[in-house]
Amino acid sequence: MHYWEDIQAGQSLATKPIHLSQQDILEFAAEFDPQPFHLNLEAGNESIFGGLCASGWQVCALMMKMLADSLNQHEIATVGSPGVEQLRWLKPVYAEDTLNCQIDVISLDGGKKDYGLAYLNIDVFNQNQTKVVTLITPIMIAKRKGSA
Amino acid sequence: MNQTPYFRSRWFEDIPVGEFHVFGSHTFAEKEMIDFGKKYAPQAYHTDPEAALDTHYRGLVASGWHICAIWMKQMVSYMERYATGVRDGRRNGAGVGFQKMQWHQPVRPGHTLTFTYEIIQKLDKTIKNKWGIIRSRNEAYNQNGELVFSFEIDILAELNPAKT
Repeated sequence: MHYWEDIQAGQSLATKPIHLSQQDILEFAAEFDPQPFHLNLEAGNESIFGGLCASGWQVCALMMKMLADSLNQHEIATVGSPGVEQLRWLKPVYAEDTLNCQIDVISLDGGKKDYGLAYLNIDVFNQNQTKVVTLITPIMIAKRKGSA
Repeated sequence: MNQTPYFRSRWFEDIPVGEFHVFGSHTFAEKEMIDFGKKYAPQAYHTDPEAALDTHYRGLVASGWHICAIWMKQMVSYMERYATGVRDGRRNGAGVGFQKMQWHQPVRPGHTLTFTYEIIQKLDKTIKNKWGIIRSRNEAYNQNGELVFSFEIDILAELNPAKT
């Protein structure tokens, strides 16, 4: 297991791509974001997005999935996150897009007794290498026991 | 009865800074928390009530992104209730981004969050000469009145073509 003391600024984490079907978009929208441009092809075409596109929150959730899988795979002892400093939805995500993340540790903060923070810059790209989302978020990583 | 016009039926120019709404509440059930966690945030404290006892949170907690998704659901539902025939989804709505998001307190099974928004700023910037940007401060309080979630979101609102 890797603890906060093992993390270094400048370090990157690879993620595994996720493919998004039209069905995935419609299901998430029906449950959480039932706006016409996420539910209906025609309304999507007429909207500012120019097509049926995924809820921005679905893109966030998929980013979280890629991040969590990567942290688990690298055996990093994460204990969650206190928030997101800033996030921008730069481009729409459409049906049949495939997303992937570039995750970089930009700084570290000793934080609390039991855990420290690692500030991540995360860029989400589609299959054309177009950046669709960018965010900065601190994540909490447990400290090695007895090191505090 | 809330008489404020449907958020989306108004032009950018007609949306007032300072407008405040309590727009919904939601009780988080254990099952929906686990379902969301397994799909999008696979960590023991989001997916396994037993294993969660041994984690930092000492029990199951909702994923922060689940809270965001429920915020969105409540917001759409609220806007629908005050819709007065405007359902085309054009004159509003797309999010540009958000900032200062904080998950202040864990949300556990059975907790009820109540959501509020206040329009805090109309940004001095237009997009494609068609859209203005409305910034709102959003908060959620739990059943004990504790602030558990807050952020500022920037969304597009269409400029009145008669005035541009």
